[in-house]
Amino acid sequence: MTTPTEQTPTTIPLRRRLGLMIGDQRTAYTFIIIATIGGLGLALNVDGYFNFVLAMAAMNILVGIGLNILLGLSGQVSFGHVGFFAIGAYATGVLMLNGTGFWVAFALASVVSAVVGLLLALPALRVSGPYLAMMTIAFAFIVEHGAIEWRALTGGANGLMGFPSPELFGYILSETDMCVFAIGLAGVALIFYQRLAHSTWGRAMRAVRDSEVAAQAIGLNPLVLKTASFVLSAALTGMAGAIFAPLNMFISPSSFPFFQSILFILGVVVGGAGTLWGPVFGALIVVLLPEFLSDFAEYRLLIFGGMLLGVLWAAPRGIVGTIAGWLSSENPAPAPGNTGALPRLLKIEQAQRLDVNGIGISFGGVKAAADVSFSAEPGRITSIIGPNGAGKTTVLNLIGGFYQPDTGEIRLGEVISGKSAFEIARAGISRTYQTTQLFEHMSVVENVMIAAKRGRLGTILGTANDAEDRLLAEQLLAFVGYTGPLARLAGNLPHVDKRLVEIARALATRPQVLLLDEPAAGLMREDKTQLATLLREIADLGMTVILVEHDMSLVMGISDHIVVLDAGEPLTQGTPAAVRDDPAVLRAYLGGTEYQGRPRAQAWSGEKLAVLTAHDLEAGYGAAPALEKVHVDVYPGEMVAVLGANGAGKSTMLRAMSGLHRPVRGSVLLNDQETARSPAHRIADAGMVLVPEARQVFPEMTLRDNILLGAWTRKDPVTEAEFEAITKRFPRIRDRMESKAGVLSGGEQQMLAIARGMIAKPKILLLDEPSLGLAPSMIGELYDVLADLRDEGVTVLIVDQMANLALTVADRGYVLESGRIAHAGAADELKNDPTIERAYLGHSGEK
Amino acid sequence: MLVLSAIITGLGLGAMYGLLALGFHITYVVSNTVNFSQGSSMMLGAVLGYTFAITLGWPMPLAVIAALLLCGVFGLAVERFLVRPFADRGSNAWLMATIAGGIVLDNVVMFTFGKEPRSFPSPLATDAVNLFGIGAYPLQLIIPVVGIVAAAIFSFLLRNTKYGKAMLAVVQRPEAARLMGIDTRLVIAGSFALSTMLAGVAGLLIAPLFNVSAGMGLVFGIKAFAAAILGGITSAWGVVLAGLLYGLVEALTTAFLGSTYTQIVAFSMIILALFIMPNGLFGSAGIKKV
Repeated sequence: MTTPTEQTPTTIPLRRRLGLMIGDQRTAYTFIIIATIGGLGLALNVDGYFNFVLAMAAMNILVGIGLNILLGLSGQVSFGHVGFFAIGAYATGVLMLNGTGFWVAFALASVVSAVVGLLLALPALRVSGPYLAMMTIAFAFIVEHGAIEWRALTGGANGLMGFPSPELFGYILSETDMCVFAIGLAGVALIFYQRLAHSTWGRAMRAVRDSEVAAQAIGLNPLVLKTASFVLSAALTGMAGAIFAPLNMFISPSSFPFFQSILFILGVVVGGAGTLWGPVFGALIVVLLPEFLSDFAEYRLLIFGGMLLGVLWAAPRGIVGTIAGWLSSENPAPAPGNTGALPRLLKIEQAQRLDVNGIGISFGGVKAAADVSFSAEPGRITSIIGPNGAGKTTVLNLIGGFYQPDTGEIRLGEVISGKSAFEIARAGISRTYQTTQLFEHMSVVENVMIAAKRGRLGTILGTANDAEDRLLAEQLLAFVGYTGPLARLAGNLPHVDKRLVEIARALATRPQVLLLDEPAAGLMREDKTQLATLLREIADLGMTVILVEHDMSLVMGISDHIVVLDAGEPLTQGTPAAVRDDPAVLRAYLGGTEYQGRPRAQAWSGEKLAVLTAHDLEAGYGAAPALEKVHVDVYPGEMVAVLGANGAGKSTMLRAMSGLHRPVRGSVLLNDQETARSPAHRIADAGMVLVPEARQVFPEMTLRDNILLGAWTRKDPVTEAEFEAITKRFPRIRDRMESKAGVLSGGEQQMLAIARGMIAKPKILLLDEPSLGLAPSMIGELYDVLADLRDEGVTVLIVDQMANLALTVADRGYVLESGRIAHAGAADELKNDPTIERAYLGHSGEK
Repeated sequence: MLVLSAIITGLGLGAMYGLLALGFHITYVVSNTVNFSQGSSMMLGAVLGYTFAITLGWPMPLAVIAALLLCGVFGLAVERFLVRPFADRGSNAWLMATIAGGIVLDNVVMFTFGKEPRSFPSPLATDAVNLFGIGAYPLQLIIPVVGIVAAAIFSFLLRNTKYGKAMLAVVQRPEAARLMGIDTRLVIAGSFALSTMLAGVAGLLIAPLFNVSAGMGLVFGIKAFAAAILGGITSAWGVVLAGLLYGLVEALTTAFLGSTYTQIVAFSMIILALFIMPNGLFGSAGIKKV
C-alpha cells in the first residue's frame, strides 16, 4: 500500500496516472467516442474496398463485444457464434428480398438471433465445460447445414443475392454509409458493454463467473444470468450478421464456415477477454492483418495459430489485458471508519428461529448426516462441532440449500428445505465457506455491493441504489475490521482479509441467519480473538449465527448453544459447559471405546539413530502457518503417536512429510537424506509411505491390484508367500482379494490401505487418522493389527483422533496445539496428563 | 441392401470416431483436460503413413510403426507445451492452446505435404468383395474390427499390465497414486501420447478410403469429440459405443435422407441427448463439494 505522501500530483508516476485514468468510467466513454469519431472520419475518407474492410472490422468488433459479454463477463465459451452471425445475415437477407426495409429487417434479425440464443441457452447452459463447447459446436454445424438444406428460404448452397439497397428516408445508403453505420453501431455496442460491465447485472455475471456456488449463496440465479449473457451475446452477433448481408450483397452457407467461430474467439482472446478494448484490438488484428500481409494470404491461419499460442504463453490476459494489468494501479483508499450506522443499515427486523427437524442425506449409500435436529435462536451463536467427518459441513450445506435433504425439513418461519440455494439465500440465510469463495476478479467493495442486492438486480443496465449499497459495503467492511483498499481485487487479498470480506459479503444480504464454516481456519491467534469479538457483535445485531469451527477455545468461548455430531448423527447438545463435561463428547473426541489397546509388553528400547527427523518444519495453506517449528524424531522400530485437536496441524504434518503439501521451510530427513523438497512419488520411493486420511483405496480395482500397486516402488517382485503373509494379517479382507475395493466398508478399506502400504516394505509407515469414521468394533481390530505391527518392529508414525487408544499402543507421543508441539514424552505419561484433554476440548472457558 | 451397406459404412466410420473419442476420454480422465487437436493427430498419422510408405517407399509395417511413434511424440509435445503450462496454473487456456496447435499443425502440413488431397493406395481398398449382394472393400469390413479390437486391446492392457494399472490408479485416486510412488506427470504425458497414437491408428486405417490431406482431420475430430461427449466422456466403453452409434446415425441418415441432412440429424441428436442426459449416455456426475 502506498503512503499518502506519495500521492502529491508531482510524484505520481505517469504509469500510475495512466492507470487511474484508464480505470475511470468517464475516460472510458470519452475514448469510445474519440475512437468512434476517428473510425467514422476514416470511413468517410477512404474508397470502396477499404470501406468494406473497415465495415468488416466493425462487424467483427460487434461480434467480439458480444462474445466478450459471454466469455469475459459470464465466463462461458461458445464455438457456435458463427451460427448467430449466419442467422442474422439470413434473416435480414430473406426479409429484404421479400420487400421489408433494411431497418425493420435489421431489427427483426437481431430479435431472431436473440430468440434462437435463448432457445439454445436453455439446454446448453445446463451443462458446462467440454459439454457446453460441444453443444455450441453442434449448433454451428446445424445452422450451416440447415442453410444448405432449407432451399426455399435460404437458396441452398447457391445462397441469396440481389438485396435491395438500404434506404433512409428515401436516401439510398452507399457502401460508405453502411460502413459509417457499422462503425457507429460498434461504438454504441462498446458503450453498452462498458455500462453493462459496471451495472448490477454485469457485476452479477462476473460474480457467477468467479464462483457459481457463492453467487447462489447471495441470492443470484446463475441460470438466469448466464442465459441473459448468452442472449445479449447472440443478439449483438446477429446484428453484425444483419449488416453483413446487404454489405456483402451475397450470402451463402460457405460465408459461414465453422472455422469462423474459432476466429471470432481468437480475436477476443488475443485482444483480451473481459476488457473493454480487447475485442476491438482482436477484431482489428483478425480483419486487418491479412490485408496488410496480402502477400502471405495463404499463411494467414498459420500466423493466427502461432499468434494465439504466443499470446496464451506470454500474455494470458490478452494484449489489452496485459497492458492494462501493467498500467493498473488500484485506488489505495481504504474504507472510511465505522460510523455506527450499521444497525440501521442492516435493518434486521424480528429475525426468526431456524428449526432443523430430523434432516439427513446419504451419498452413494453412505450416510453423511442422519436425523439431525436443533433450533437456532436469533441473537445467539449456535455451534456445530464434532470430530472430522462428523457431517458438520454437510449440515451447513443442507441448510444453505447446496444439498437437498433426503429426509426431514428445515424451517425459517416457513419450510425452506427443498428450495434451491439462491432461493434460500433470498429467504434470509447467508453463509461463508471453509475455503473462501470470494469473487476473486472483482474488487473488495464490489464483492460486498453485489451481495447487498439479495438477488434483485433491477433493469439490465441499471445501477440503482449503487450509492446506498456502497455505503453499506463500506460500513460492513469497517465493521468486520477490513482496513485495506476498497478497490483491491479480492483474489489478491491475504488470507485473513479474505475471511473478513467474505463475512462482510454474507452480512450484506442482511440475512436472518448467518452460517459460518470454519471462519477461524488459517487465522493467527490474535486474528481469532478479533473474530470472536466480531461474531459476538453480529449475534448482538439480532442475527441467528450458526458456526462450524474446529478451534474449541473459540467455540467454547462464544457459543450459546452447541450441537455435537459424530459420524453424521447428533450426539448431544447443550450449553458449552454441559457439552464439555459430557463424557460421550469426550469419548467421541478422545476415542474411549470399550476396547482397550494392547501396550508393548516391555518398554521400547532401541537404536537411537532416527529413521525420520523433521526439523523446524513449517507448512501452511493461508497466511498463518498450519505448522510451525515442528520437531519430530522417530527411531527404528518405534511407534510414535501425534495427537491434537481438529485443525491442530496433524494431517498437515503428515502431508508435508510425504510430499503432498510442500513445506514452507524446515527439513525432513529420512535416514539422513533430505526429502522436504522432493515430490511425493520420490519420497515414497525413498521409503516413507503414507496411508492417507480417508483410506483412498483405488475403488474400481480389485483388492489384489490395490495391494500390488503398493509395491510399485519395489525393485524385487512380490512373491506369493509374501503376499500371503501380508494378507494373513487382515482376515477380514483376506478372502476377498478379487472383489473391487469400492464395495468394502470403511474399516475394511482401512485394512486394505495398510496392507497396501506395508507391501512397499517402507522404512517408516505414516498413518493418517486410520480410525476415522470406523465402527467401534473395527477400531478394536485395527488397533490389534497396529499392535502386531509394532511388536514385529515396523516403524510407525500415527496421527489419530483416538488419543487414548493411540497412546496405549504407541511408545511415545507428541501433542500439537495450533500447529506447534505443545507436549512431547513417553506415551503412558502423556496419557495421564490432563493437558491433553484441554488440547482437545479447549480451555478458553476458564480464560 | 441399402441398409446393410449403410451399416458397414457406419460401423467403419463409427469405429474411427470411437478410437479418437477414446483418446479424448483417456486424457480427460487422467488429467481433466482435452486435446482439441485430436483431429490433427489423426491427419498426422495418415500423412506420415503416406509419406513413409508411398513417398519414401518404406515397407508398410515399418511405415505404420514409424508414423504411430511420431504421433506419440506429437502427443508428448502437445502435453508439454499446449496443456501443462496452463493446467499447472489452473487455467483452462489449454482449450484454445490445443486448438491453436491443431491449426498450426494443419497449416504446416499443408505447406510441406501439399494442398492437393492424395489417395493412399491399399490392396485392401482396390477390389470390392461381394457381401450379401452388396459390394464393399475388404478394408471397410476390417476397419470396424480393427477399431473394436484396438479399443479392446487398450482396455485389456489398462487392466492387466503394471503401467496400465498405474494409469487407472491416477484416474481413480491421483493423490494415493503419488503416495504409491507413481509419477503422475509421466502418466499424464503418457496418456497424451497414447491418445494421439489411437488417433494415428484411425488416420492410417481410414486413409485408403478417403484422401489424405492436411485438412482431413478437422471435421473428423469434431465428430469424434461429439461422440466422446455423447457417450459421456468419463466412460471408456461409453465413448466407443457412442462413436459406433454416431457413425451409424450418420450413415443411415445419408442413406435415407441424403448427405446434406447428415450433419443436421447427427448434431441435433447430440443437443437432444445432452438435454435429456446432461452427463452423456454412459457418463456419471461427481458429488459436488464446497
